Amino acid sequence: MADSEEQLKSELILGELKKRQRTKEVVDVEEERVKVVIFMCGVNLYAFYGRDVREILPSCAISWVPSLPEYLPGLINVRGDIESVINLRHFLGEEKDDHCKCLIAMAVRGDFHSGILIDSIEDVVDIPLSTILPPLATLNGAARDLVIGEIEYGGETISLLDIGKLAALIAL
Amino acid sequence: MSGEDDIRLELLFFSVGGVHFAVDSGQVAGIATYDGEQADDLFWFHEEMGYDGNSVSYHSPNIVTIRTGGVSSYRVIIDSMEDIAEFSQNDIRLFPPLLEVFSLRRGMWGVLPRHGRMVLLVDFKRLIREIRPDIN
Repeated sequence: MADSEEQLKSELILGELKKRQRTKEVVDVEEERVKVVIFMCGVNLYAFYGRDVREILPSCAISWVPSLPEYLPGLINVRGDIESVINLRHFLGEEKDDHCKCLIAMAVRGDFHSGILIDSIEDVVDIPLSTILPPLATLNGAARDLVIGEIEYGGETISLLDIGKLAALIAL
Repeated sequence: MSGEDDIRLELLFFSVGGVHFAVDSGQVAGIATYDGEQADDLFWFHEEMGYDGNSVSYHSPNIVTIRTGGVSSYRVIIDSMEDIAEFSQNDIRLFPPLLEVFSLRRGMWGVLPRHGRMVLLVDFKRLIREIRPDIN
């Protein structure tokens, strides 16, 4: 029989488990998380990084301007600031629809700022950065230019769109 | 900005196809009622501005004669003038950068929020330079 000073096997295991748990907690705390805004556009869900979306505006009158390309439906007045609006469906290959029912996500990234037409907001969630996967190789051509990664949401795979890529695409 | 630096503009307001525009009165040499005349120097505003396939109806068409500074004349058919008013340059907003590259090609250089509407400011001299350089 081992003497009382000898460490119990159970204590050894318990100590090891607690050590592991502490390590896991540290990992959990340190893992970088990002906020994403999940929204509907056409018949699909997409997401933007939350840091790129300043606010969501209810549907408002878009003033049409002659000679603009199809993906720029016009101007909006946001508390005295005149902002452009981008029709995201054009770039995602989604079917065209009536702008009146849409919401407008005000996107800001560096010098780029514009309203972006979306159909509805589904959710705003914090996700670990590590859960953002590279874009699917099978992604269709229209959306591929905007997608920066894929995330899981409600059992679905959702394309995470990059405002910077959208800005670059429009600037071309 | 001091009051002395403030540039003031007298603007003539009109609308075509439900879109509101204004032009600096200094560019306008005259206004006359349109009576169905056709001429080489006479253009429909919606065609000049690239309304594309959108059908546009004019309720009370008028001809605006623009000062070109050259020998050729340039006249545009618009819908009736709605108002004349003076504004400060501080009342005028820039087009958002994404749109400006397109708007300037059609002479639209600024936006004036007025009575809950967005009034697009048209510089006809810029428009002529962009789309009818032979007139300039």
